Amino acid sequence: MFCGAQQKGEEVIMLDMIIIDGLSFALPLFIMAVGGIYSEKSGITNLALEGFQGFGAFTGAVVVVWLTGITGSTSQIPYYAGFFFAMIGGGIFALIHALLCIKFKADQVISGVVMNILAMAMTSFMTKSINSAFFGNSANKFMLGASSRITIPYISEIPYIGAVFRDIYPFEIIAVIVAVVMWYVLYRTVYGMRLRACGDNPHSADAAGINVNAVRTVAVFISGCLSGIAGMSFAYSISANFSPDIYLGYGYLSIAALIFGNWNILPALGACLIFGFARSGGSAIINELGLPSSYNDLVRILPYLLTLLLLVFFSKHNRSPRALGQVYDKGRR
Amino acid sequence: MRKFLLSCLAIIISLLFGALILWLMGKDPIAAYTNLLQGSGLMHKARYAGRQSMFTDFMSFIDAMTPMIFASLSVAIALKGGFFNIGVSGQMMAAGFVAHMLSLAVPSKILVIVAGIIAGAVLGALMGWLKYKFNVNEVVTSIMFNSIIMYLVTFYINTFYINPVSRQSKSIIDTARLTLSGYRWENLKVDIALAFPLAVAVALLLQWFLERTTYGYEIKAVGLSPKAAQYAGMNVNRISLLTMTISGALGGLAGVAYFCGYLASIQPGTTPSMGFDAIAVSLLGGNNPAGCVLASFLITIISKGSIYMSSRQHIEPEIASLITAFILTFAACSAVLSRKGKK
Repeated sequence: MFCGAQQKGEEVIMLDMIIIDGLSFALPLFIMAVGGIYSEKSGITNLALEGFQGFGAFTGAVVVVWLTGITGSTSQIPYYAGFFFAMIGGGIFALIHALLCIKFKADQVISGVVMNILAMAMTSFMTKSINSAFFGNSANKFMLGASSRITIPYISEIPYIGAVFRDIYPFEIIAVIVAVVMWYVLYRTVYGMRLRACGDNPHSADAAGINVNAVRTVAVFISGCLSGIAGMSFAYSISANFSPDIYLGYGYLSIAALIFGNWNILPALGACLIFGFARSGGSAIINELGLPSSYNDLVRILPYLLTLLLLVFFSKHNRSPRALGQVYDKGRR
Repeated sequence: MRKFLLSCLAIIISLLFGALILWLMGKDPIAAYTNLLQGSGLMHKARYAGRQSMFTDFMSFIDAMTPMIFASLSVAIALKGGFFNIGVSGQMMAAGFVAHMLSLAVPSKILVIVAGIIAGAVLGALMGWLKYKFNVNEVVTSIMFNSIIMYLVTFYINTFYINPVSRQSKSIIDTARLTLSGYRWENLKVDIALAFPLAVAVALLLQWFLERTTYGYEIKAVGLSPKAAQYAGMNVNRISLLTMTISGALGGLAGVAYFCGYLASIQPGTTPSMGFDAIAVSLLGGNNPAGCVLASFLITIISKGSIYMSSRQHIEPEIASLITAFILTFAACSAVLSRKGKK
């Protein structure tokens, strides 16, 4: 797996592993946080990222399993089609959240949590049903097969930081490209400006001729799409299958990252990287010390604990979008 | 009254949704729903195994319902006070774990209950404190706590307290367990939930507390509008802390009723889904203690009866959580309709 590992020292290999594993965890988290920023900047509190990523991963996994049956396991088509449909699936599921929050004026926090529970119940039921209906077993997971990995020649040979370009999952590249586009759209286009206006002062936005509800619906849809990509990435990188185990609270980690990043894209990336490296670094230390695998459970606490600490220290000075979580009521002043 | 009707509507729509799914899968919805009632001991099954009857089924139904009442009350009082306690799962697990540990030293039912209350209350208070002191969203902290507690407990159980056969934690000793399991009564083997009377009493007490005491009034006032409450001279921080402490204590009670009563051991690696189902129950019960008891009854029929239903109809038991999730979704919509009606 690690080319030329023999020539290098032990610490270097460990450092490489921390970088490689950390990035493959941080980037999906980041793309999901970007989606959350879109939704929250438009004024819709989004605790439903967890459910969106799970549902997206489910639709993506169904497509992958179905296409692999047609094209054979060597083709790369199912992989990318899987990501595309994960995006669509996450987006469509997100529209339920938009419907509840915008049309039915439900409490956005409650709606978000409800979405997570609904996603979990629907996907675990449908996974089992589809498996027993089409494949004759009642497994609760879809096997996806391992993702291919890319190593960029020459750059990856640079000592230490070269590991950033080694053994990259293709979804990491997708995530980076999408994030750059999303950054541009949010801060440099008319739509992005309108979206931010809807989250800060929807009445002014309305007066300026913007359809607040439409902008918000699109924002929630985008957050669903991005979460879908993230969910599919987790399905590939962590377990190489889709199962209800995908609901591990990563959606909430990315919410913490966006709060920590003060609802801005670049600082959120910083938080995601911290989570990623805390996770991979912890595992590497457990490996290094030769402790039994049950000690891994202690390491898994790290990202959550960090989130908690970061929130405690940074929440006080945060400025959330002013109209965040409020139902937009045209008649109210 | 309007709220009650809307809750009923949410249930009916969800059951119809569920029936539609069952029908699409080629099952008979009426038979399936009858199985739910039979599995809960509310209707006669065609036949029973030895030492079992409709009565024993009903008693184990009560046993399953007891922690649900506590858990839903925990969510309900938090919502009344303006908090969304999604950390009930973590509070349950922590309380169950602490009670298990203490019962190793002093096996006593009273101690198990007290330990559960204290463990839950401390966690709840911590969340309330983080909210008002550092302005951290309690939903996110609760989720973080859920994960942290789950991994800590899992680590401890897997390392020191595992039953190698069942892959669960060791079982709590019978003298400390809150359920009399397999109690011989005439020729039947009955599970008696000793905490059930306590659950009903706590619900009544909470109803009285919210409707008839100053503290209850203040909790509701802060929940409706913290600013108005502060303007009226209430100490919002102190009341928030009180709300979350009570909520946490109830979550802890749910935990001991679940892990040291209904079940005798703790399953490592997962948080109990009851903490999330309790949100559905509480919303359905209109965040009202009496309503919570009624709604617990209903949701437990679905969760408990689904085991029998899935074995009779050859359908995935996950259908139960699916129907619960539907109820939750419609209840979230109808909570708004009821607000609209008042304006």
